[in-house]
Amino acid sequence: MPFDIQQFGVKRTQIPPLQNRPDLRPPVNPGLAPTPREEQAPQGDPPQQEPQGDAKKSALVESIQQLGQTSIASSPDSNIHCLSIIGQIEGHMAMPPQNKTTKYEHLIPQLVAIEQNPKIEGLLVILNTVGGDVEAGLAIAEMIASLSKPKVSLVLGGGHSIGVPIAVSSDYSFIAPTATMTIHPVRLTGLVINVVESFEYLEKMQDRVVNFVTSHSKIEEKVFRELMLKVGELTRDVGTNVVGTKAVEYGLIDEVGGIAQAMHKLNQLIQENKQKENLLQ
Amino acid sequence: MIIYSVMPMELIMENMEAMSEIQYEETEIDGVKMVVERTPQTSEAKIVRLLSWNPQDYLNPRFAPGTTIYFRPNA
Repeated sequence: MPFDIQQFGVKRTQIPPLQNRPDLRPPVNPGLAPTPREEQAPQGDPPQQEPQGDAKKSALVESIQQLGQTSIASSPDSNIHCLSIIGQIEGHMAMPPQNKTTKYEHLIPQLVAIEQNPKIEGLLVILNTVGGDVEAGLAIAEMIASLSKPKVSLVLGGGHSIGVPIAVSSDYSFIAPTATMTIHPVRLTGLVINVVESFEYLEKMQDRVVNFVTSHSKIEEKVFRELMLKVGELTRDVGTNVVGTKAVEYGLIDEVGGIAQAMHKLNQLIQENKQKENLLQ
Repeated sequence: MIIYSVMPMELIMENMEAMSEIQYEETEIDGVKMVVERTPQTSEAKIVRLLSWNPQDYLNPRFAPGTTIYFRPNA
């Protein structure tokens, strides 16, 4: 069947016509009181009114078909942007479909837009990630760290591996009491040729992660490397699983908390930022 | 490319063969170019990534990767 890409839009057959959906029909004026618009229309000329009603109806049908539902009454625009980093962080290679991924090629321009958009005053990063591509993760972390707007991160569930630099990239980080972060070495699986060079290359990759984390959090490099190479903590690997309060004790994360604390902190940072801007002006 | 993840590599890379069967296509919606993944035998497609120069397009929830879009057959 030929498709017209330009004409692309919505599946029109899925939504039953409005007449069959009394719940979606626009409310009828009680007592047939004329609406202001109808009042202006010349009396005794019903055919002229017909298209008006139809136009109104079709506008509603249009909005239902375009969005799959009528638009919900929108709350006042939020001044913060919530960025959720979930599943695998997908980088240069597309991952097979069973992976839930956060795509860096979408997040990076989004962070540019956040920096540019004057309506967005703060960024809330929510993490529940198992890790992923080193380069993509570091790119996102660097983007968040260099953003001029206040940003707060919250680790829920897990912020493992490359999620660690992203979690510490914000101005202030929170971790849920039950959330964990796995710190383990960067390594290569599969065929390794030129063992010495590969080892040195991985060592360099690992240093990039370690340097980022230690320069953006209060954890000391020595402690972080110790956690990374600890034996007997993980079943399949060397490394450490750091849970909630422990992450704060090591200085990796600033505070144990949830969404309320994170939002409170972000609002506080936004206020401080505004005051600073006012002083400059 | 190095994957730094707690997920075992074999789980991440499972079904890698199936990736070659995916049909990617370029299309344009409201002036925004994007790569979509066609679902075979249907008029549906899923947004894979945007090819836009305008950063604000990436904030539009309609264009989030994974959103299903529909191709309308020619009348």
